Amino acid sequence: MLETVHVPPSVDEALLALRDGAVLMGGGTTVMPQVNTMPVEFTEVVSLRRAGISGIEVVDAVATVGATTTIAEIGADERLAFLRPVVQTFASPPLRNLATIGGNLFVPQPGGDFGVCLLALDATVAVAGPAGTRDVGVAEVLEHGVAAGEVVTAVSFPVPADGTFFYRKAMRRRYNSAAIVSVAAVLVREAGVVRSARVVLGGAGSRPVRAKAAEHALVGKPLDDASVAAAATAALADATTFDDAFASAWYRSRVLPVHFRRALLGG
Amino acid sequence: MTELIDHDYFAGDGDDLHVVGTSVTRADALGHVTGRTQFFEDLLLADCLHLKMHRSERHHALLKRVDVSGALEVPGVVRVLTHEDVPENWYTVLRLIGVEPNDQPVLPEDRVLWRGEPIVAVVAETEASALEGAARVEVEYEDLPAVLTMEEALTEDAPIIKPHGANCFIYEGHPCRRIRFGNVEHAFAQADHVFEWRYESEPIEHAPVETTGCIVVPQPNGRLKIHSNTQAAFFTLDNTALIIGGPFNRLQLVGGTVGGGFGGKVDVIVEPIACLAALATNRPVEYVYSRLEEMQVSSTRSAEIFVVKDGVMADGRIVARKVTCYMEAGAYTGHTTYGVTKCAAHMPGPYSIPNVWVDAYCVYTNRTPTGPMRGFGVTNADFALETQMDRIARALEMDPLELRLKNAYRDGDLKAHRKVAEGAALVEVIQRAAELTGHELAEEYERMSSLTHAGVGV
Amino acid sequence: MPSRVIELVVNGRHRELLVRPGMSLLGALRDGLGLTGAKRGCADGSCGACTVMLDGKPVLSCLVAVETVDGAAVRTVEGMAPDGPLTELQQAFVDGFATQCGFCTPGILMAAEALLAENPEPTREEVVRAISGSVCRCTGYTAIVDAILAGAEARRGVTV
Repeated sequence: MLETVHVPPSVDEALLALRDGAVLMGGGTTVMPQVNTMPVEFTEVVSLRRAGISGIEVVDAVATVGATTTIAEIGADERLAFLRPVVQTFASPPLRNLATIGGNLFVPQPGGDFGVCLLALDATVAVAGPAGTRDVGVAEVLEHGVAAGEVVTAVSFPVPADGTFFYRKAMRRRYNSAAIVSVAAVLVREAGVVRSARVVLGGAGSRPVRAKAAEHALVGKPLDDASVAAAATAALADATTFDDAFASAWYRSRVLPVHFRRALLGG
Repeated sequence: MTELIDHDYFAGDGDDLHVVGTSVTRADALGHVTGRTQFFEDLLLADCLHLKMHRSERHHALLKRVDVSGALEVPGVVRVLTHEDVPENWYTVLRLIGVEPNDQPVLPEDRVLWRGEPIVAVVAETEASALEGAARVEVEYEDLPAVLTMEEALTEDAPIIKPHGANCFIYEGHPCRRIRFGNVEHAFAQADHVFEWRYESEPIEHAPVETTGCIVVPQPNGRLKIHSNTQAAFFTLDNTALIIGGPFNRLQLVGGTVGGGFGGKVDVIVEPIACLAALATNRPVEYVYSRLEEMQVSSTRSAEIFVVKDGVMADGRIVARKVTCYMEAGAYTGHTTYGVTKCAAHMPGPYSIPNVWVDAYCVYTNRTPTGPMRGFGVTNADFALETQMDRIARALEMDPLELRLKNAYRDGDLKAHRKVAEGAALVEVIQRAAELTGHELAEEYERMSSLTHAGVGV
Repeated sequence: MPSRVIELVVNGRHRELLVRPGMSLLGALRDGLGLTGAKRGCADGSCGACTVMLDGKPVLSCLVAVETVDGAAVRTVEGMAPDGPLTELQQAFVDGFATQCGFCTPGILMAAEALLAENPEPTREEVVRAISGSVCRCTGYTAIVDAILAGAEARRGVTV
């Protein structure tokens, strides 16, 4: 049963408060439902709300976003306007005012929309721990989390040039619903041909999936119906779809190529 | 401006209508928009206890051992209730209107019939300790074979899950509610066409935004005051009184403010055990469903299956209708016997068909007990019947409205369950709807009336 | 299980209250301060019935551990018309039959107020987006969206 909620005023004090078994809480969107509705095993929670790790900086086209920056704050920042399609399909306004970008890294699919995007953006995660700070690629955090006693303090990523970031989230409802499937991509073209591609799928595994076969099918070709269709088929091979209340694995696989095409070509 | 009262149809009726046709503010709107409307949980009590249930994790099992000692060790837990604490351990919500047999225990004695069935009530100072206590109850099960669909339940070698020896309710010695009117087999033989189609639906959860719940407050004079969001205040009061024993006037029910019911808050499911907890502790007790309980444990609309076989003449007259339908009660009868009766009586729909046969089954499965929802027993039936009508019209290349006009019942017609139709208005409603939507009807259909059989070959 | 005293400015008034560990802002408002307008429909952020304004922004109060917002400013539905005439928005809900059971109404009013505070002339789509965190099982939403648009017009001084 929960006995203490720590609200440390700094990262250092947060690290101190993170004794064995203490659970970290960012926006509260995953911890509070547990506290509210079921007997919890943990006795202590450490809230990062006031630990001073929110805020957005953009320097030399690299964005550094504090871990407790809310999704709504990201959506309101002109410098990150490219992320608005992600923000506007993320849950609902009153939840976006609570959910944090750092916390979203730890939400399993089909939640965790920002995890999908940050992997496509090749983000770096700043982690603070008892032994000091380290930077790690977001792929590792998405796959393995962080060590006990560590805190994600920020994520950073290059702001993509106009027309290079693609995102689509397929949902059962128009708003406020988890992904059936989602696609996030950063594609750089030169002379009409795709030079580099990072493509990530959501709703295609328990964590965001880097669609390497799809990337391979796109690179060196123009971004057109033929190459995208081939990449969409390849994306299926990268995906391990699953059943849940939103959609069956069969349905996810069935529509993934369609939403893949729409993400990259529109329509 | 459109005339709001149809003075042709209601000639002479309009003179004393002063409210019909005007716009009247809802009496509860002011409270709703100021947040002042009192829902049951808005009652604030300093020393209220909280009740949470330990529920079955199995679909169908014997209870070999129920150990509540773990719950009692949780700080804040003040009382645990099992079937031994229930004086009259039967719900049978319809027994007040003579429906038998007693079928559903308040808390089970020796077995569970569905996943989610409440087994042990834990009463504690806080919700957190009640949840902790409920989680610490240990139950040892011996699994029994389960039937999870109506088809499974009705196969010949299906395990029988009910003590009366059948997986369906027995209506006066028969396995189904029956309507017999005329001779359908003879009529099928005479018909120009015979059509048979099947319709199915799955359970639907009402999902009100306010979950089911109540707060029971012991009164200084020994009575219990129940604050509940039940839709069925008198069912609740009377059934609760039968369960806890003692005179009915020991209970006082404060209710009528329901945060969404739709038929899902008529089961008398939280008040009896909350009353027993209040009596056992002499303190107010709240028992409210979590969202998960509301979705999985509270009653749903039944899954239903309809097979509708029609004998139809070339000119569109339906001369025979045979309906075989199944409504899933889930693990316990609840209201479903009544729903099935309503469904049977609803057949063959608003049409005068001279030969009608209905077999309507109330089927038990090891699933969440079902209940009423928005047109109990008739909504799914109408989906089946009206889809059938459209399909017949398509098969005969006939206008679907004209098909219905030709078969619509008129005043004075004897319905299949032997009631005489009166005040019929289907003909006029269809005609008016056609007019409003610009759907042209042939002249003979325009001239039809509920008051005569003109234009209908009998 | 030690409780703590926290302070909130609720509907413009300084309030002090005793809270248990893990108590949500929703629980604090209802049980601690008797402000029962915000409702508990799911306790997991999916229904929106608990929506209130926290430091000027609409939030799901069931997801906020109240100890983490000590000192914050909160506005609830009770603060909309504390002692008299309804706001244009509330009146539009009454006139437009935008309530049935009423359980979702306070949360939707809060979400609508948040919208109008930053966008006094929203489009229909913007209204739908603003209230997308609230579930209503009774009305089918159309009357609610119409009422928010009508309330917004009335507030701007435009006759409908």
